[in-house]
Amino acid sequence: MKLMHCPLNGPRNISEFQYGGVVKTMPDPVAGSDDAWRDYIVYEPNVAGPVLEWWCHLPTSYWFIAERDTVSDRIIRTMPAAEMFGATPAAGDET
Amino acid sequence: MIKLVPLPRRSPLHRRLDGLGAEWSFQGDAEVARHFGDPEGERTAAGRLALVDLSALPRGGYKGPAAIGWLAGLGALIGPEHNRAYPQADGSLIAKLAPTEAFILGPADGPADLLAAWEGAWNAEAADGAWPMPRRDSHCWFFLAGEAAPAMFAKLCAVDLRERAFPLHAVAQTSVARTNAILVSGEIGGHRGAHLLADSASADYLFGVFLDAMDEFDGRPAGLAAIGALG
Repeated sequence: MKLMHCPLNGPRNISEFQYGGVVKTMPDPVAGSDDAWRDYIVYEPNVAGPVLEWWCHLPTSYWFIAERDTVSDRIIRTMPAAEMFGATPAAGDET
Repeated sequence: MIKLVPLPRRSPLHRRLDGLGAEWSFQGDAEVARHFGDPEGERTAAGRLALVDLSALPRGGYKGPAAIGWLAGLGALIGPEHNRAYPQADGSLIAKLAPTEAFILGPADGPADLLAAWEGAWNAEAADGAWPMPRRDSHCWFFLAGEAAPAMFAKLCAVDLRERAFPLHAVAQTSVARTNAILVSGEIGGHRGAHLLADSASADYLFGVFLDAMDEFDGRPAGLAAIGALG
């Protein structure tokens, strides 16, 4: 079975993971226009090649970010969300 | 007038174990299966492969950015690594599931003094950022003892549970028979094995899965006496 490396738990079968969509920048909750929210919620960039995605390790409900090549389906790397967003110590590591 | 009588803690498998001929004993407030009519045979099986239901026994947990620090401040022995379990003075085990979460297993063979003390010490102000996670009803708790346990788990779980890959006090959060589970390598009464914690609603399903999976290794259900947990 295909393996994925969970930043919290190490390598696990891909069946333990749930895809959560492409990492996108959320519009400003106050100033964001309707068009910006439509683009954010409805449209997908559908990139052919390396893309950053949200994934969840289901047994621990742990959300993290994976870089995956959508052409070859190869997982290039995975990282805690805090690595990208620089969140508080808790947010990046919480299960 | 209704007379309120304190009821013992029972496993979600109580009726199923009763149907297997369980002889019951009390461990604190928990009613536990002492044996299933063949204490000597169960003791022998515990060296090979035995399934012991510990679901009635105390357990708990804390979660949040301050959870580990708060427990350490109360004297809990917790190291820096997560996905590791840390034994405590009273025989309980703290499984550190993440830098922000601890799952505490009370001792199988005695009172859960530390767990009770920490529960008593918690309040929202003193433990800001450390939230209690009651686990006694949410999770069932099995201990799979014996040298054949890793081979049996190889049929149900993708994580290698052999000693060289899963040493004493290692923790794996993974899928077992398609059910999310926490596995903790542990020891009770000198019997090495794996603690398994999973959704209590799946207890009956998992019990049946283990009975099937144990069959080829001559494994069997055993009471707490088989692993020396009842003196």
